[in-house]
Amino acid sequence: MMSKEPGGFKRHGENEYQATFSESEREVLINLSEQIIELLAERVDHAHEDPLAAMVGITVHDAPPEDEVLLRLLPNAYADDDAASEFRRYTESTLRDKKRAHSMAIRSNLINAGNQPIDLDHEGANAWLGGLNDIRLALGVRLKIEDTQQEHLELLKPDDPLRAIYAVYTWLGWLQESLIQALMDDVTER
Amino acid sequence: MVKTNTHLDEELKAIFSNDRLWVCVVWDDPVNLMSYVTYVFMELFGYTKEHATELMLKVHNDGRAVVSNGSREEMERDVQRLHEYGLWATISKEEL
Repeated sequence: MMSKEPGGFKRHGENEYQATFSESEREVLINLSEQIIELLAERVDHAHEDPLAAMVGITVHDAPPEDEVLLRLLPNAYADDDAASEFRRYTESTLRDKKRAHSMAIRSNLINAGNQPIDLDHEGANAWLGGLNDIRLALGVRLKIEDTQQEHLELLKPDDPLRAIYAVYTWLGWLQESLIQALMDDVTER
Repeated sequence: MVKTNTHLDEELKAIFSNDRLWVCVVWDDPVNLMSYVTYVFMELFGYTKEHATELMLKVHNDGRAVVSNGSREEMERDVQRLHEYGLWATISKEEL
């Protein structure tokens, strides 16, 4: 399903990174990016958001998300609950916006490129890394990577729905790794 | 005559007011790739590959590592940027 060779990101001239995706790969990436965007939007309760406060980046949310995935994407910054709430109130909407921008970049790059190669500059590559990582974090929570031996996931039965998710998770890790390796050359040379 | 070093003065004032004793801690996470964590340290903090790798290994082996220290405001900025890239980071006042 997911091709591993050849492919992934390659350095294409200085500070330029290129990858070509198959149609099914594009579909999977667009779909997962949209899921992250939707999940982050769930956190915004329009009915209760004070528009003036929202404008200056203050959110009404100061309690951590109940959803496990959202909590991993928007974690507490302090061990102390009061300090964590205070920090969240002033910073969470900015964090959500950044994460949304990362997923949006992946989505729109793929839609715009169609079956042509994706070309990223340094900033674009960072957006992809952050966005791919958020998708992997989300899938990791669903797969219970925290307390599951990876060997167990390797041995899932063919009809287990988790098996397909695990295949995508592994492929995303490989894709992210290819982009990091391509970027490392430029960062190390700087 | 004693010439005052303004920069040093500020440093000392900051130390005595405990304003520089905040740290940013990154916690181990089974999902984040080791190379990714290293890259984020280099990119966000401008650390060399060697230093970033050292810190990443400390996170991996010890479960956590102090990656930067400074004023509370500076540490809040660092934690926010690390969260943007999906690293699990917290601010605390202990163990400089």
